[in-house]
Amino acid sequence: MGKDLASGLFWLAVSIVVLMQGLALRLGSLSRPGPGFFPFWGGLLLALLALILLGGALRRRGTISLFGVRWPKLLLVVAALLAYLLLLERLGFATVTSLFLLLLFRLEGKGWTWSVVASVLGAASCYALFHVWLRTQLPAGPFGF
Amino acid sequence: MDLLQGTLYGLGVALQPINLFYCFVGVFIGTLVGVLPGLGPAAAVALLLPSTFTATPVAAIIMLAGIYYGAMYGGSTTSILVNIPGEAAAVVTCLDGHAMARQGRAGPALGISALGSFIAGTLSVVMLTFLAPFLARVTLSFGPPEYFALMTLGLTLLTYFARASMVKALLMATVGLLLGTVGQDTITGTFRFTFGIPTLEDGLGLVPVIMGLFGVSEVLLNLEKVGEKHEVFAAPVRGLLPNREDWKLSSMPILRGSLLGFFLGILPGAGAIIASFVSYATEKRVSRYPERFGSGVIEGVAGPEAANNAAAGGAFIPLLTLGIPANAVMAILLGALMIHGLQPGPLLIKQAPDVFWGIITSMYIGNAMLLVLNLPLIPMWARLLRVPYAVLFPFILLFCLIGAYSVGNNIGDGVVMWIFGIVGYLMKKFDYEGAPLILALVIGPMMEEALRQSLILSAGSFTIFVSRPITAGFLAAAVLLLTIPIVRRRQPRPGEVTRAAGPTLEET
Repeated sequence: MGKDLASGLFWLAVSIVVLMQGLALRLGSLSRPGPGFFPFWGGLLLALLALILLGGALRRRGTISLFGVRWPKLLLVVAALLAYLLLLERLGFATVTSLFLLLLFRLEGKGWTWSVVASVLGAASCYALFHVWLRTQLPAGPFGF
Repeated sequence: MDLLQGTLYGLGVALQPINLFYCFVGVFIGTLVGVLPGLGPAAAVALLLPSTFTATPVAAIIMLAGIYYGAMYGGSTTSILVNIPGEAAAVVTCLDGHAMARQGRAGPALGISALGSFIAGTLSVVMLTFLAPFLARVTLSFGPPEYFALMTLGLTLLTYFARASMVKALLMATVGLLLGTVGQDTITGTFRFTFGIPTLEDGLGLVPVIMGLFGVSEVLLNLEKVGEKHEVFAAPVRGLLPNREDWKLSSMPILRGSLLGFFLGILPGAGAIIASFVSYATEKRVSRYPERFGSGVIEGVAGPEAANNAAAGGAFIPLLTLGIPANAVMAILLGALMIHGLQPGPLLIKQAPDVFWGIITSMYIGNAMLLVLNLPLIPMWARLLRVPYAVLFPFILLFCLIGAYSVGNNIGDGVVMWIFGIVGYLMKKFDYEGAPLILALVIGPMMEEALRQSLILSAGSFTIFVSRPITAGFLAAAVLLLTIPIVRRRQPRPGEVTRAAGPTLEET
């Protein structure tokens, strides 16, 4: 399945959801457009464009080259980002940031000593830069930082 | 207030120590961001937006603007020394800039791009100074129908300049418009597409979406390139000042690049990247030895570098006179102005003259600072380029996380960024561009309001869009742009020049 075919089908599905939501939100009248007016017409435009894309895709053939990607590493980075967000308010900025940096440095094949020192130093500098200097509000953990 | 008075008043604002300080911080960070590949000005401006909440509006915008045009300077350094663009608008500079470096002329290449950038940046601010107040007076009479038509034209222009397929760019713009409807409807107060998630009630945050699309996804894409090593140009850089011959060859390209860049910069979506490509193509065309382009001719560095800096100045025109952003960075600046309680648009010059004139004049000062920062500090930036990506990328991700979280101290915004990081990665894999989506996301709510107000005004009749001359003109231009590619299918569109000429990067 080609890129355009796959993504065209996806957008067509999205447009159907948008159209249904638009109708549910009420379209209003032309002289008094309701909350669903803009989403509905936007959804219709999306459906039209998806169909044009699909039309072109059916005439050409193609393949998606999602294989051969370094999936394990990529997924790990994506999971680490989510874990960071989920743990941030529980463990506090400094702790979570150190763990996050440690994981990513190790993932890139840095040695343990280097990774531990760099991640702690990195987290401390970020804390100093954002919290102390730029006065960004960062969540504190059970230890107060 | 006339031009001279305005400029003097603006200088008074921009020269206040605190504003000078913010201007310096802005251009410094901008250069840094420009030098570092994989972190663009849009992500950087988004990241630093929350830290300007405590500053005055003038200082905040001066700094954020500085990051933007500063990045244009920094990007060329990486292009010349490493042959990878530090910033998307510096892609063409790789061609002749790196070739010059290989011939031992890295110094003049870096010198002419810094000096050319300075000249172009200043010229473009001069043009901005003259044009902005004039245009603000013209656009003052615009009502909802004019705004709606203008925004439609803007989005169409953006998709017309799209590098890949125009259908896909239009699709992205439509998705952006729809994403813009998420949250509470401004007219009726109804919640739309919120699915009961509190974070979405205020709409999708621009900062998390930009951090995701331009920050996180870029890192994910870079992580895939296994073992790809770029050699930093090792030889010491000597003799930054271009000689007389260099100047003779470069002066016209810089002048042409400045004009091209400024006017292309005004157009939504065209911006710095297209400007640099058009300038390169122009220089090659007018040159007496086009075949030598790519082998290290100084015109191929001077023109595009001037163009991308001039474009950065031009991009302020639609923001300051219409309140419509021309690119993702301008969109964040728009957001920043609104956070500080200012309404960008034709009224800005009256309601907040300190902001209007302060920003413009600060750019003269910022450009001078950049020249000083760039020429002597090039060895330092070059050393920075030796930091391996394995050390760099965890910090880029961390900055994105902090940036998205700190806009509203809300984990939900972080999750939005996470999702758009993945979406951005997939978009790249499926050949979609992020720029139309971002721009549509920002102007979507404005466009919807303008459309609904127009229809209320006309009691439901669409003739309001054709009976007013300005509105009809804008819409006719949009229709024309949509039909040109269909009529001239076989001929390459301007966007396609860029695909042939070098690696494409996400527009920032």
